Amino acid sequence: MKVSGKTGFLVVLAVICAGVIGTLATVVNTYPSGAPAETIDWNLTLIGNGGNEKILTFDELKELPSYEGHGGFFSTVGMKYGSFECKGVLVEDLCTLVGGIEPLNTLWVSAPDGYLMVFTYDQVRGDIITYDPATLREMPHTDLKMILMYEQDGALIPEDDGRPLRIAIVSSNDGFVTEGHYWVKWVNKIEIRTPGR
Amino acid sequence: MVRSIHLVAGILILIFIAAIVMGMAVYQPDSHDETKLKVICAGSLIESFYEFEKEFENKHPGVDVQVEGHGSIQVIRHVTDLHKEVDVIAVADHSLIPDMMYPEYADWYIAFATNEMVIAYSNQSKYADEITSDNWYEILKRPNVTFGFSNPMLDSCGYRALMVTQLAELYYDNQTIFDDVVACNFDPAIAVSTNNDTCIVIMPEIFEHKTEKIVIRGGSIQLLAFLDYGEIDYAFQYKSMAQQHGLQFVDLPCEIDLSSTESEDIYNKFIIQLGFQRFTSVGTERSGKPIFYAMTIPNSTQHPKLAVEFVKFVLSEDGQGILHNTKIPPIYPMADEPGNIPDELISMGIIYGPETFTLL
Repeated sequence: MKVSGKTGFLVVLAVICAGVIGTLATVVNTYPSGAPAETIDWNLTLIGNGGNEKILTFDELKELPSYEGHGGFFSTVGMKYGSFECKGVLVEDLCTLVGGIEPLNTLWVSAPDGYLMVFTYDQVRGDIITYDPATLREMPHTDLKMILMYEQDGALIPEDDGRPLRIAIVSSNDGFVTEGHYWVKWVNKIEIRTPGR
Repeated sequence: MVRSIHLVAGILILIFIAAIVMGMAVYQPDSHDETKLKVICAGSLIESFYEFEKEFENKHPGVDVQVEGHGSIQVIRHVTDLHKEVDVIAVADHSLIPDMMYPEYADWYIAFATNEMVIAYSNQSKYADEITSDNWYEILKRPNVTFGFSNPMLDSCGYRALMVTQLAELYYDNQTIFDDVVACNFDPAIAVSTNNDTCIVIMPEIFEHKTEKIVIRGGSIQLLAFLDYGEIDYAFQYKSMAQQHGLQFVDLPCEIDLSSTESEDIYNKFIIQLGFQRFTSVGTERSGKPIFYAMTIPNSTQHPKLAVEFVKFVLSEDGQGILHNTKIPPIYPMADEPGNIPDELISMGIIYGPETFTLL
């Protein structure tokens, strides 16, 4: 069958367009965040109440048993963030690696930007006030966990949100928020202390 | 033949449109036509600055003002510790700017507004028809009365609440007010030490109340919901927050409400020592001072001319009107380092120098 010049041109154009679409689809599917996968060079220092120390790389942290849940928070001016799908390691499990945390201990969580937050034993075990996201009125909630999050919504935490490690208060149920100052970003040190030391 | 060409052409057009749509879904170019002006302000200024944002954008098409609110120390940390591109900052404690930013990140500020501490309440509050500026501490002491203030570790309104109760002892000549109203409700106890004529309130590392009389939350904004729903009777608040929220409030004497420069020497005698150093860039002591809001343009601003225009707008008559309407009392603008103020601001002819209060 003889193909006319015009038809042949249209066929070639169709092939080029199909190729373009195929390439775009490949890029989107391969790099949903627009960037290739990266290695994370980050260390987390754990210090127990007795002074014993353990350093975990990011990859070592990810190999520990993980916990997944929903969580969101609000800022001091009432801006709400989340709910996020959070995956990380239970903070209580991290404490166990350096001797555990006791009721009289406090947990000092710090970041290289100079931020520090101190938590009570009860808070580490999930005893944290939760709020209705719509009204910021306190609401009861059970099943809260404090985790050291390394994945947010299925991907690495965005840089501005505290990559690679952030404290998150999560639950298997959704529909609550907690105070934002608990969600320490860029965590690089967790220390168990006894108040007054 | 003609029909097959039309068919192929139609399919090609559909494929081309699909390719464009997919391309747009993957690539979202920045708008190069709009200039983004990043403004970070203290939480109690957020209502005012949202209005500034709207009005400034109306006057400057092509400018996208992006306002964010945080605690005052966090406002400054965005520049000094997080190295974000910020064009204007405004804080609720003017002394933080020289303490945290000079000289590397800024070298001047202009104080432009003030505020004062009050006891906020609602119609549902117990003894609402009885409380006055003379008896508020007696009312708060009553066993069936609940009240709240924000955590001093996390919010300046919280440590100012403690300063108010300490100052009250001096003003009312009653040395039991702080203990009876505040300290007795905490475990571990809040210690107070005296050094010459300076009084230091020493916060424990963990600030936990042992009674249900007091409610402590991370930010004073959370206490508003408590008041709304009648879950507490009273809360220490900024007057602007109480007014913005439609609450009633007790006006406190200026000797204790942190509003007056004439009482500054008295305020200075009271220091709150926080339980831990939440930010390495600022120490753990907060001393009593009159409440002044101040703003500056960080040295690292990417839009110095536009930032100056924004500051000019805040200081202008329109800007002062916005502050007034959002219950933030404006003051005669006052600069701390007149020699470093941008000329365009000096030429407004409304800014006063420090100490001598002469126009620049």
